[in-house]
Amino acid sequence: MTEADLSRLADLAVVVGANVQPGQIVGVTAELGHEDIVRAVAASAYSHGAKFVDVWYIDPLVKRARIEFAPDDSLEFVPSWYGHRILTLGEERGANILIRGLTVPNALEGLDPQRAGRDQLPRVKETNVIVNERTVNWTIVAYPTAAWARLVFPELDDDAALERLWEEVRHVSRLDEPDPLEAWEQRIDQLERAAEALNDADLDAVHFEGEGTDLTIGLLPSSIWKMARWATVANVRHLPNVPTEEVFTSPDPERVEGRVRSTKPLVLSDGTLVTGLEVRFEGGRAVEITADEGGEVLRGRTQIDDGAARLGEIALVDRESRIGQLGTVFYETLLDENAASHIALGSGFSFAVETDEDRARVNQSAVHIDFMIGANEVNVTGLSRDGERVPLLRDGVWQISAVPAA
Amino acid sequence: MSAAPLAERLADLAVGLGANVQPGQIVAVSADIGLEEVVREVVAAAYQRGAKFVDVSYYDPHVKRARIQHAAYDTLDFVPRWYGDRAFALGESHAARVVIAGPSHPHALDGLDPDRLGRDPLPAVAEWMDVLADRTVNWTIVPYPTLAWAKQVHPELDDEAAFDTLCREIVHVCRLDEPDPDAAWRERVDELTDVGHRLDALALDALHYEGPGTDLTVGLLPSSSWIGAVSWTVDGLEHLPNVPTEEVFTTPDPARAEGRVRSTKPLVLVDGSIVRGLEVRFESGRAVEIDAEEGAELIRKRVARDVGASRLGEVALVDRESRIGQLGTVFYTTLLDENATSHVAFGSAYEEAVSEEDVSRANKSAIHIDFMVGGDDVEVTGITRDGKRIPVLRGGAWQI
Repeated sequence: MTEADLSRLADLAVVVGANVQPGQIVGVTAELGHEDIVRAVAASAYSHGAKFVDVWYIDPLVKRARIEFAPDDSLEFVPSWYGHRILTLGEERGANILIRGLTVPNALEGLDPQRAGRDQLPRVKETNVIVNERTVNWTIVAYPTAAWARLVFPELDDDAALERLWEEVRHVSRLDEPDPLEAWEQRIDQLERAAEALNDADLDAVHFEGEGTDLTIGLLPSSIWKMARWATVANVRHLPNVPTEEVFTSPDPERVEGRVRSTKPLVLSDGTLVTGLEVRFEGGRAVEITADEGGEVLRGRTQIDDGAARLGEIALVDRESRIGQLGTVFYETLLDENAASHIALGSGFSFAVETDEDRARVNQSAVHIDFMIGANEVNVTGLSRDGERVPLLRDGVWQISAVPAA
Repeated sequence: MSAAPLAERLADLAVGLGANVQPGQIVAVSADIGLEEVVREVVAAAYQRGAKFVDVSYYDPHVKRARIQHAAYDTLDFVPRWYGDRAFALGESHAARVVIAGPSHPHALDGLDPDRLGRDPLPAVAEWMDVLADRTVNWTIVPYPTLAWAKQVHPELDDEAAFDTLCREIVHVCRLDEPDPDAAWRERVDELTDVGHRLDALALDALHYEGPGTDLTVGLLPSSSWIGAVSWTVDGLEHLPNVPTEEVFTTPDPARAEGRVRSTKPLVLVDGSIVRGLEVRFESGRAVEIDAEEGAELIRKRVARDVGASRLGEVALVDRESRIGQLGTVFYTTLLDENATSHVAFGSAYEEAVSEEDVSRANKSAIHIDFMVGGDDVEVTGITRDGKRIPVLRGGAWQI
């Protein structure tokens, strides 16, 4: 990793991802251990005219101390100013940049998962408000850290692991292209066409079939497929995830039936690793959640509110994804969810439906937990309103028209 | 290099004797990035005392550096409103507050344009002054050693020796080398309280400082009373705002300061920048001339911030019994240096040091900048309302 890597990644976050505008306040959320990229992001944002860069450093070991020692009846508490900061950033039409990249492995190891599940920080529920109101142009980018590199490449020594992770993050973030901005424009065009074709198919439900998976997810009458370039109410275009490889929508939280087996490990926002996840849905609700590891913490999360056990997102990813192609398991949702099709428990996207009636039906929750259910071996089939079965993905390749080969 | 066991002991001192954290309280913790070790101990100790939530705010001076280097000039004084709103909300919830002092990146702001640097007030948040004046928050500041700080304080030593020396000094000045540090502090606090009572009994109208480069008279308010070390919140919670603390202080008359004063130690601003060889001339309470060997512009900028910023909000007396003064070390950290020797402060006053009829006369400002004016060769003399001169400090020793 060189200074140039840092400043290119920072520019990717500021220019390609959040698309920071002159005069904006820019929130940055990062962990201790991300200082180098945070400072580079601050320099880039200010150089692009930001009015103020407000860094929120999260310390995973401060959270550990809370789970370990705080009074039992205090664990759900979040001070009012956490939400106030986010909502005000929205009112001010600010930008927001989140840095991802594991800093402390197993920060909550050995603690009572029941207690850990009750503290939702660093997630702040008001974030859902600014996302849905589209008042903030925001992005999430991946920053390679030593701890993360060790987790992904345990067979390599520390330096080699970090260099390899940088190499892969450069590749999947398209920083190895001469003009990353242009490379992203091209990939976004492909995803845009996939979303159009899905919307033309006018689907009522999507069926996933594979080993351990037989799941049907109903859509809302006006669910529309989106790809990952958004625009704020002020018409600032941004990429919420860099990298992004998905098209997604908000499903009907009442119509999910069957079983699904996760195809990749997932890492919760507090660092808890969940492997071998299996979920059974009935009437839209996750009624059975089992896992080889981390099941208890995840179950704790799904009990936070009524919507936490229902789906808020369904996303399809084809095999052209650079992340899927690498085959690396990153233990990081930002990357892994863009490797394969996925669904999310918890809050949905009210902008992914078109009618007010459906907006009221989109799932609501304080949590949003993505997990990967797609693979080349998992067939994805659309069910049209007249009962016709429309192949969507076979062997990871789009089957619907209007999507030219990449 | 680690000071881990020290982290635990300082954390206990901070949440116990210092801030006196109560069950159910929210606790705000502020520290520079690099002080994680002690911050996590403070968090653990606070939760173990029953804190409801510990809200840690890490300040990264290198992010500030990026701002000063790259941001548009006219944005440099901007602070998002949620910074102040957070301070007010903490006040409303009658929270506790622990600040960790000790620069972890003492050179982060080196070489920046002082004009640009002077415009950015952060990490100081003006609204905290109001919250502290309301006395709704039980708070404390404690020091914590870092290698970078140790190298700044003891540049003549190698890394390990510098760090060991700073650790030892902090243990000593925090009285952690006493068998029972709490009891040792109780004793010292009682002494300072007693000095305060004796000064009150003199009913002084003004203080006169005389020494090399210094001939300054600072008027007091009719009800100015001397406070030593201990503060109480409106809820009656006792706390030690500074650990260590060696001072007795009061709120002066912001309209009556006359003469010149030469600072006897370098002072470090809240963002880490350093001012050396400061000289100030006061006329009718206002600083009308500010010079320095280094950093004069930084002070001039801050003092121009509002009407009260160029007037005095605090006078504090420190005798030579101060463990910090005895060490003779310049710590480049206000918490320690101001407790080494007598000092005065530009900006906001402590309203608790005057009674109700004088509250409106106590100085108001968004800033509070202490600078050291005392030393063994600076004589401090009290002037009574009938003009009598009473020696207060001679050779650094109490005369009262």
